[in-house]
Amino acid sequence: MPSPPPPPPLPGSPIGRALPRREDRRLLLGRGRFHDDLELPGDTLHAVFLRSPHAHARIGAIDSTAARALPGVIAVLTGAEINALVAPLKIAPPIPGHLPVETPAMPAETARLVGDPVALVLAERRSIAEDAAELITIAWEALPAIASVAQASAPGAALVDPTVPGNRVARQRVATPGLDAAFARAERILEIPFAQQRQTHAPIEPRGCLAIWDVGREHLTLHVGTQAPHPYRTALAARLGLREWQATVIAPDMGGGFGQKIIPAREDLCCAAAARLLGRPVRWREGRSENLAASLHAREESIAARVGFGGDGRLVALDVTITVDSGGWCLFPADYIARMICIIIPGATRLREYGYTTEIWLTNKCPSGPMRAPMAMAAWVTEGILDEVARVLGLDPLEVRRRNMIAQTDLPWVSAAGQRYEAITPRATLDAVAEAIGYDAIRAQQRAGGTTGKLLGLGLCTVIESNTYGSAFYRAAGIPGSGHEAVAVRVEPSGAVLASCGLMGSGQGYETTLAQTTAAGLGCRPDDVLVQLGHTDIAPYGMGSRGARGATAGGGGLYIAGLRLQAKMLQIAAVLLGRNSADGLVLREGRVLAATGGGFTDAGIGIPEIARTAHLDPLRLPAGMMPGLHEIYAYDPPDLTFTDSAHAALVEIDPESGAIALLRYVAAENAGQAINPIIVEGQGHGAISLGLSGALMEHLAYDEDGQLLAGSFMDYALARAGDIPPLQLMHMNIPDPRTPAGIKGMSEGGTMGAAGALMNAVNDALAQSGVRLDKPPATPARIWAALQGGAGLRRT
Amino acid sequence: MPQVTLTVNGKTSTVEVEGRTLLVELLREKLRLTGTHVGCDTSQCGACVVHMNGESVKACTTLALQADGASITTIEGLAKADGTLHPMQEAFREYHALQCGFCTPGMVMSAIDLVQKHPEGLSEKEIREGLEGNLCRCTGYHNIVKAIDAAQAVMHGKAASIAPATV
Repeated sequence: MPSPPPPPPLPGSPIGRALPRREDRRLLLGRGRFHDDLELPGDTLHAVFLRSPHAHARIGAIDSTAARALPGVIAVLTGAEINALVAPLKIAPPIPGHLPVETPAMPAETARLVGDPVALVLAERRSIAEDAAELITIAWEALPAIASVAQASAPGAALVDPTVPGNRVARQRVATPGLDAAFARAERILEIPFAQQRQTHAPIEPRGCLAIWDVGREHLTLHVGTQAPHPYRTALAARLGLREWQATVIAPDMGGGFGQKIIPAREDLCCAAAARLLGRPVRWREGRSENLAASLHAREESIAARVGFGGDGRLVALDVTITVDSGGWCLFPADYIARMICIIIPGATRLREYGYTTEIWLTNKCPSGPMRAPMAMAAWVTEGILDEVARVLGLDPLEVRRRNMIAQTDLPWVSAAGQRYEAITPRATLDAVAEAIGYDAIRAQQRAGGTTGKLLGLGLCTVIESNTYGSAFYRAAGIPGSGHEAVAVRVEPSGAVLASCGLMGSGQGYETTLAQTTAAGLGCRPDDVLVQLGHTDIAPYGMGSRGARGATAGGGGLYIAGLRLQAKMLQIAAVLLGRNSADGLVLREGRVLAATGGGFTDAGIGIPEIARTAHLDPLRLPAGMMPGLHEIYAYDPPDLTFTDSAHAALVEIDPESGAIALLRYVAAENAGQAINPIIVEGQGHGAISLGLSGALMEHLAYDEDGQLLAGSFMDYALARAGDIPPLQLMHMNIPDPRTPAGIKGMSEGGTMGAAGALMNAVNDALAQSGVRLDKPPATPARIWAALQGGAGLRRT
Repeated sequence: MPQVTLTVNGKTSTVEVEGRTLLVELLREKLRLTGTHVGCDTSQCGACVVHMNGESVKACTTLALQADGASITTIEGLAKADGTLHPMQEAFREYHALQCGFCTPGMVMSAIDLVQKHPEGLSEKEIREGLEGNLCRCTGYHNIVKAIDAAQAVMHGKAASIAPATV
């Protein structure tokens, strides 16, 4: 059950302060400790994977004789050997229409994608292992490759997974009862296609691990970058057949995750199994090509939207079919991202009648999974529909948004997809963005027409960003798991505070923000708190960092645990001060203050005196009070929190070349109470630029035979500094009354809004030439082709 | 195996390398200076940038043998012995110009080289263009550009200390 919110922080609390980050100094000195920086035990073996060059092929005889003969090679393990040590991943969620599927740690019979691992070489040095991998020969038997949903769904198509008939792994249909009647009464109906190209997370730090098997203790220590150390450990132990206390997962500094580093990678499991088998530590670090080919991909989704609306531009009915090209293996429930997209599509509109169909297809490509803002496409679909409605009716897109948008007086609002919105301000953020970008002036400029021959495009995108995901969400969605977070706070005899939880950061600044929320609860200074993350033996079992849940679930939990400890410390303070009760006492910045008249005065003691008494003189404590100062608390947030934002992008397109210039970008956001405004701002920048990069240039391309075309950063384009304009962010944060200290999640909405605003801006420009780009990336080549009637849709 | 003698952060070392050993491998594995990172293997991301004889180079595509006799500065060599940060490091901290911190060492080394090469000062646009060899996936570059702008004032003697960031 979601927990009720505790009292809000006192004025002047560390929550809301723009403190510099505590993790920065070591990272700036070059003294961070990423997985590749770990000091290796002397007998460590280096792992290199041999990977399939084929999109789809039967793995015939594997001859590793020459590889094994190379001096320094200790072992070569293939799928059959690995799978005797590691149980397969079984995905069989209790979701209607979802077929059960299995993924082995290493395929033994059939490779399903370019980059599928098919042998593991272990050697004294990495260079030796690389050389040895090249000496392995495999009698491949190539099979027909499925490289698109069109190929997957064709009659008689080859099967990616022999247990999935027709290659469709999941299908679901949900609709409101009045949908058909609403379409029947709609004055106009439009069918609008949307699609997203395949992308990948591309953390600048590739994946890797160090697996150490302690033969005597029969214990595995895995050093690995993971956003969710405890669920990772649960899966790791289960897959390896270990008791959970036989495994410790330690996440060092992590160089970006964005969703790619949540669950045990297949390579991690292979390395852990090898370390146990050989009794020697095993070290693996992938190359960028491996990361691009075979880590995790995302976002290859198509949405066919059918919308019914009135002559005034108000939506009356919407039906969408989302088709996902999800790759060769299911590492997550196949349809959960598609369903999340569909759940968010109604956005901030007053739409009442809505239906969606999800269809998830297997293909011979890298598996897909969550990537920062998995539901990113939703905002573009909603707002792209509103733009199309405005266009066909000759109405202004901003006016159509206002006609469709819920008002403050509508809250709490239950969306057509059943989501209950509270504590959002979509009209305020939209108005702010329209004013800041100079909406009316830009429209006037467009009407006047330019003399440069360039096409000016203005795109808007309102975002309802779902985040936090309490356990009630998991129950409702039928997804195994929970959304609570357990935290531990200890005050040591000196007054030093240790705070931990199961979140693991990859750049979010948790060591700073979680110290702030702990300190706000406890009544100490953030500098008094050490935040310990990324170690399964230190933190209580937590659900990890994903879904923009860290601030509310982890930060909120630590705030509450701090408050509980503060209450205990004030009871002790009352004894030390000879008072009858703790009434009128508070802790602030580590000092006990007593209410006197209208204000507070220092009572002469602080946390060190209280902590010493609690630990070292427990007989002085009030009767029945437990010695020491420690609190383990589990906080279960609401099913979802919603952060709303509005985004505006201004682009200029040269129709002669297709060149696109992003001239301005403005966003306004209500993200609840900011724990640290500097970090909130930075997360906003990062989220927006990730969305812009995806919309402008990223494309994890395969050819029609399933061969990978984007195998390095020379082929997979990421936005560089010159591709992103200065970002103008406006923070219109209002505390959420349902959460501790009013905290909500953020950091994904920017990605949603940027993708939508950019594409809407491009299409606003292209509409002047009568074409529409229905799929990013909006590269000059694709824009040019659309203008020539190629890649886009010609309007009729 | 061939030997390489080089001076790294003021300290001279002689180490054995393979012909194929990369400068970044020498720094990270032989000298255990792990602040210089490997992000892409193809000199696209710039996480491996160090200064060789005063010029920024990508250590992932420089052979160790090419550094024989060279003077190298890595991220570990920037701060003073008393722990005082280089103005560029200080500016990155002040402006929240790093998140995960993985690209940061290369970004800082590139930024210092960029500023040093432009005593006349760089505009915001020129800073962005000057960073074309470095990728950051976290920050959107916004605060990196602001940090470099603040650092160039100090590095060129136009300001005594890094101007405070405002939110």
